[in-house]
Order: sequence, then C-alpha cells, then structure tokens
Amino acid sequence: MLQPNSSKKFIFNEQIDSAYLHSLYDDDFQYIEEIFGTTLSHFDPDFEALQQAYRQGDVLSLKKAVHKIKPTFGFVGLTRVQQLCREFEDICQKAAGTDDISQQYQQIVTTLAASRELIAAEYTKLKDYNSNHL
Amino acid sequence: MKWTSVIVEDLQVAADYLAKCCEKSGLLEVKGHFTNVQEALDYLNKNSVDVLFLDVEMPGATGFDLLDQLAYYPKIILTTSKEEYAYNAFEYNVTDFLKKPFTYQRFQEALNKLTSAAGDSNISSTASDHIFIKCEGKLVRLNNDDILFIESMGDYVKFVTPEKKYITHNTIKNLEEKVNRQCFIKVHRSYIININKIDDIRENDLYIKGNEIPVSKAHKSDVLKRLNII
Repeated sequence: MLQPNSSKKFIFNEQIDSAYLHSLYDDDFQYIEEIFGTTLSHFDPDFEALQQAYRQGDVLSLKKAVHKIKPTFGFVGLTRVQQLCREFEDICQKAAGTDDISQQYQQIVTTLAASRELIAAEYTKLKDYNSNHL
Repeated sequence: MKWTSVIVEDLQVAADYLAKCCEKSGLLEVKGHFTNVQEALDYLNKNSVDVLFLDVEMPGATGFDLLDQLAYYPKIILTTSKEEYAYNAFEYNVTDFLKKPFTYQRFQEALNKLTSAAGDSNISSTASDHIFIKCEGKLVRLNNDDILFIESMGDYVKFVTPEKKYITHNTIKNLEEKVNRQCFIKVHRSYIININKIDDIRENDLYIKGNEIPVSKAHKSDVLKRLNII
C-alpha cells in the first residue's frame, strides 16, 4: 500500500501521483483545482460515450472513446488509470467485436467509475484547501 | 509580436492546459479552440495563423485529414496521446510532437523548435496585411488588398495593382511561402493571384480587372475550394 502523497502542502489521495502533478503544475493549487473541475465537468459525457459504444457492440467507437478519455487521467495525476486505458485501447484494437472483451470492459468501466469519484472527492478537497489558504 | 495560433483538440482539459501554456510563454496568442476538424477548417481557410496545435484522433475526421485539406501550411505541433503517429508526423513535416499530458518544460522545447523553424521561413509574414518589396532602389509597401496578382518574369516578378506595376527580383516559388495565404493563392507556376479580386472564371482561365490569367490543372481544384460557390 502506498502512503498518502503530499505536494508540499496539499495532501493528495494515495492513488494520485503528486510528483507527476507537480511536474505539470508546480504548486499552483488554484490551477490544479481548475483542472480537476474541468475534468469533472466533461467526464460524464465522455464516459457515457464509451459505455454506449459497448452497448451498441461498436468496438471501433469503443476504442475511440477510451482513446479520448485516456489523457484525462494523466492531467489529474492518475497515471496508473491512464496506463490501464492504454492497455484497454490495445485490446480493442485487436478485438473482432465487443463479445471478445466483455471481462476487460467490465474492469475498465469499474476503474473509470471509481476514478470519477476520486476526482470529485479531490476536487472538493482542493476547493476547501484553496478557500482556506488564499 | 506574438505568433497567432489555433488549438484543435476535442478534450477540454487538454485544450485549457495548452491555452494556459501558450499564455504563460508570452509568445503565442490563441485565436481559437475547435473540437473537430470541420469547424477548424472553416476558420483556418478564412483566417491565416502562424501555429497550429493539432490533436490527431477526434470525432469524425482526423488531424491528418485536416492537413490534407488545408489551403496553406502553418507551423504544426501535434498533440496526441499515441506515439504511433510519430511516423505520420514526420511525413507531414510537423515541427514537434507533444504527448499528452506534457510538462511546461516540454512545451518550451517545442517553442524552441518553432523559433528555429521560424528563422528559416519568417512565419509571421504569412499573417501580415502588407508586404514590402525592393523596387527602383527603395522598399515599397504594398497592401495585400491593393495587389491584383503577381506574375513570374524569369528571375523577376511583377506585382500588378490597379494603378501601377512593380517589378522586383524574386520568384513565384519564394513568394508562395511569404505572402499571406488568406488572400493569395498560386493558380499556375507563373501566377499568384489575390483570391478576393477574381471577377470570373471560365474553363482554365480566370479574369481580374480585364487580365486573363491561366489556371493550371494542378491548381484548379485548390482554387475552386477557396471560392465561395453557392
């Protein structure tokens, strides 16, 4: 189990690569809050597009949807999730249809749903932090 | 003077971050953000920019499709999350390739490459509303709007305006890279014309203020694409 990461002042969730976030944004927590907010506000339509593609059995659209959402996780420091998306994209590339990848799909959807909750929780924490420290 | 730029990117957080990097650099002015190729093409074929930040995979057409349809080539920086596009990037002569997300330091490296590339081709001149030409021992300013067309005369070219003709030592090939591509288009190996001055087109010729100008087969489809045909 990883220990909770800190980026000097703010304590990020242990699943977030705070060193990576620091390399992108330094310690500009106001901007990090903005990034998390923007990510959240666009997350649901992109996630829904991914699920819809699967429901329709359209593996090409599924691959495109996961390709689109993939860098989102990098921007919020969820580099492991970004890597899982990359692997799922490769699986889609090789799959003949959605029936071949139902198990991997369920795993990625579960991961993405949990990541959304995590981003939302971190966004709330960042808002509180910024309102108390600025 | 800042370089003008456009961001073509379907992921909002990536576009916002890129815009922030541009602002932080103090070197780039972002004129617009488009989430798909068609909207970007509509803008870019009416407005000339110096730098294009271009995602590859977007809904519908790809970034490479956009490059195939663009009437001119600004400096291009590809922004994508897939390294597999590096070979295509090389084929399209892009200036750099940023893998999302990228650090501001990596963005600055891309700007350095832009600066080097600009040294070779003077990229800001393509977005200007005028040019200066050496003529009769002085530098003469010609507004784009005053130029009807430019005609090759061997090692010289002739700039034709309604009032006067200016002859200067240059070539159509060289000028093709230097003139504002929003206004001008090459229609023949010996002619660059002001797209806004065309009176009519018949078969393989076009007419500007009584001057008959040939349109080569190779350039005809590009010319027709630029006209507002309804």
